[in-house]
Amino acid sequence: MAGNFWQSSHCQQWIVDRQDLIRERQNDLQFMSEEEHQKILIFFCNFMQTLGEQLKLRQQVIATASVYFKRFYARNSLKCIDPLLLAPTAIFLASKVEEFGVISNSRLVTTCHQVVKSKFNYAYAQDFPYRTNHILECEFYLLENMDCCLIVYQPYRPLVHFVQDMGYEEQLLPTAWRMVNDSLRTDVCLLYPPYQIALACLMMACVVMQKDTKSWFADIGVDMEKIQEICRYILSFYDLTKNYDEKKEAQALLAKMPKPKTQPSREENKH
Amino acid sequence: MMDYEFKVKTAAERVKVEDWFDYEGCKVGRGTYGHVYKARRKDGVPNPTNGRNDNRDYALKQIEGTGLSMSACREIALLRELKNPNVICLQKVFLSHNDRKVWLLFDYAEHDLWHIIKYHRAAKASKKSVMVPKGMVKSLLHQILQGIHYLHDNWVLHRDLKPANILVMGEGPERGRVKIADMGFARLFNSPLKPLADLDPVVVTFWYRAPELLLGARHYTKAIDIWAIGCIFAELLTSEPIFHCRQEDIKTSNPYHHDQLDRIFNVMGFPLEKEWEDIRKMPEHPTLLKDFKRTNYANCSLIKYMDRHKIKPESKAFLLLQKLLLMDPTKRITSEQALMDPYFNEDPVPTSDVFAGCPIPYPKREFLTDDDQVKEEKTENKMQQRPPQPQQNVQNQQQNQVHQQQQGQNQGNNGPTDPKRIRMGHPHQGQNQSGMDQNNSGHQSGHGHQGQNQGGGHTHGGSGGGYMNSGHQGHQGQGHQNHGQAGGHMHPSGNSMMQQHYHQQNQNHQNQNQNQGFGQRF
Ligand SMILES: Nc1ncnc2c1ncn2[C@@H]1O[C@H](COP(=O)(O)OP(=O)(O)OP(=O)(O)O)[C@@H](O)[C@H]1O
Ligand SMILES: [Mg+2]
Repeated sequence: MAGNFWQSSHCQQWIVDRQDLIRERQNDLQFMSEEEHQKILIFFCNFMQTLGEQLKLRQQVIATASVYFKRFYARNSLKCIDPLLLAPTAIFLASKVEEFGVISNSRLVTTCHQVVKSKFNYAYAQDFPYRTNHILECEFYLLENMDCCLIVYQPYRPLVHFVQDMGYEEQLLPTAWRMVNDSLRTDVCLLYPPYQIALACLMMACVVMQKDTKSWFADIGVDMEKIQEICRYILSFYDLTKNYDEKKEAQALLAKMPKPKTQPSREENKH
Repeated sequence: MMDYEFKVKTAAERVKVEDWFDYEGCKVGRGTYGHVYKARRKDGVPNPTNGRNDNRDYALKQIEGTGLSMSACREIALLRELKNPNVICLQKVFLSHNDRKVWLLFDYAEHDLWHIIKYHRAAKASKKSVMVPKGMVKSLLHQILQGIHYLHDNWVLHRDLKPANILVMGEGPERGRVKIADMGFARLFNSPLKPLADLDPVVVTFWYRAPELLLGARHYTKAIDIWAIGCIFAELLTSEPIFHCRQEDIKTSNPYHHDQLDRIFNVMGFPLEKEWEDIRKMPEHPTLLKDFKRTNYANCSLIKYMDRHKIKPESKAFLLLQKLLLMDPTKRITSEQALMDPYFNEDPVPTSDVFAGCPIPYPKREFLTDDDQVKEEKTENKMQQRPPQPQQNVQNQQQNQVHQQQQGQNQGNNGPTDPKRIRMGHPHQGQNQSGMDQNNSGHQSGHGHQGQNQGGGHTHGGSGGGYMNSGHQGHQGQGHQNHGQAGGHMHPSGNSMMQQHYHQQNQNHQNQNQNQGFGQRF
């Protein structure tokens, strides 16, 4: 569907309003600060990245899974489904949509076990607690919650296009590409069209590479205010991670998350 | 872990398919990937989009198996995005959490090309006529191309184009509109993450498979869809699957299929190196050289094949067909180019209602009982086009090939001399008497002008009553075209398929209007 972002479900249903996003988050923000909330989402993006790499998935699949994950928690509290379950589910669903070929259920669960044990033991003392049937059940909820919008447009393709247009330069693409990867750890994929995210990352990469591209940006006639907003999101992510050691903080952060209740709750202890 | 309250809340919001729709006992289709039901909204359940009660028909597809298979996923993902008048529209997805079934809701299409072609073949076999507007084939092709152009423009490949997957809307606001369906195999192809051939070893039904696929091409392309459209076009023009081939061992993951290639060469001739330079680079090229001898196909060509079916080589229909069926995929026409072909500017121009306002001669879909299903499952090869029943075709096909070669050798004479040939009436020659009789003998009663059309002998010649007078002049009687075609697939009557070729001797009497569609082909 590369040709048609403007008619896509991504554009029409899943570019959300910033105010709506903040409002939906209020529930979770009773239990934690905005920064902590952001760190929790970053943690699970890292988890999906590691899991995806372990499964030898392409970045495109991981990026799509990250967007699914964000879409779900844009409309639901962290309490609704344990993100540790939703994360592999998003990877599973994205791998089917992005045509990687089906990952077998057992391989997915086994890899989750390995990854939790070897790479995220700083956050989880116990084993990965879910089995195949949990993931399959969760998949229906994820699909339903996204209103079956599965095709996600990513900034990678427009990025490549823009870099070529600019006149290809060795280090520019990889630098900007990494920034696109980092952008997945912010809200921008819910707030802006992918081509704008690509341009923002390209602009930051040009700054890093000390390349003067003002005239190029002026020529393509894009809303520079939007591009700058995106840059601010990504830069604040870099700020946040500067003095942040996930290994040290993860457990405490995860403990703050509101947890799902499996049984009908007798006492309301929300407040 | 999932939150209990969350589950309760979502369950309350969730619509169950059986709460909204009546569909029990209304199964109309059974494909490889699911059961299709004709469904109606239950009383008092309004259409959510406009709040009004609606008593339209819908098609509910229950996807085979449970959960979200990769093909179900792809089908949902793509259909969710696609919006074009000639592509089937996904109205809603129902996820049934209890039994883990996935249901897709579509608009109901009363007809499809498989049933339409089957109907014409049956009519031909029993020497009955079917009344359709002369531009119908052209309108069908035009809309198929528009749908595919939209898909290709959006970087979606269909990959499983065949008559059964081309739906046509019945009575209603979208009357006579083509809907391309069955996107289960469709996939984005702008950046295939894996060579596509690795994922589903066998996809396109062999009859509609492009030669490059049969020679082991590793990637699907737009050109592969175009080839299939060429096959469908030829089938619409002649009512015979152009590359009909005995079907067996279709489960093989080996793309190379000797018999299917043989059939293609029997129709098209063996490709010359200069016609298809890259054929040498095909993975199965060595096998091709080993298995095939060019000289066996020296007398075969698309011109001759279509000529035998009374499609003149200089007709616009033939010229377009030839561009769709080019062996070299890089030379094959694109959907965009095809849409601009002069064929579509020539009278009769395509209509958005392929039936051009005329009565629709085809029966409505029948409901399948469980018995039908069992039968169907037994006789049907999985993954296959439904038409011919294999046992009959083994023989037919062999005869066919022999016959084609004989015919080829006879080219240039004023028709074949095979003693077995039966002289059959050409549509536009005086033999229409029998056709008229048949017309009048019931099948198409109520269309009194039919005989006149036939008598007129060509598409513009008719002047009878009915809709001819109301501007739809293209109605052709067709009973006269029943040159003994057995329709071997549909009728186990033992008549040989070769008879389809016998009317060649009449070709020199054909008039220039003959290629304009079903009107003359059936
Ligand atoms: N929208 C519709 N309206 C009416 N009938 C339909 C509709 N969609 C499908 N059908 C009928 O059901 C049959 C099977 O549907 P479909 O082709 O979508 O399923 P499939 O399992 O993918 O089939 P295939 O064997 O071609 O892969 C069709 O050939 C057609 O006869
Ligand atoms: Mg089908």
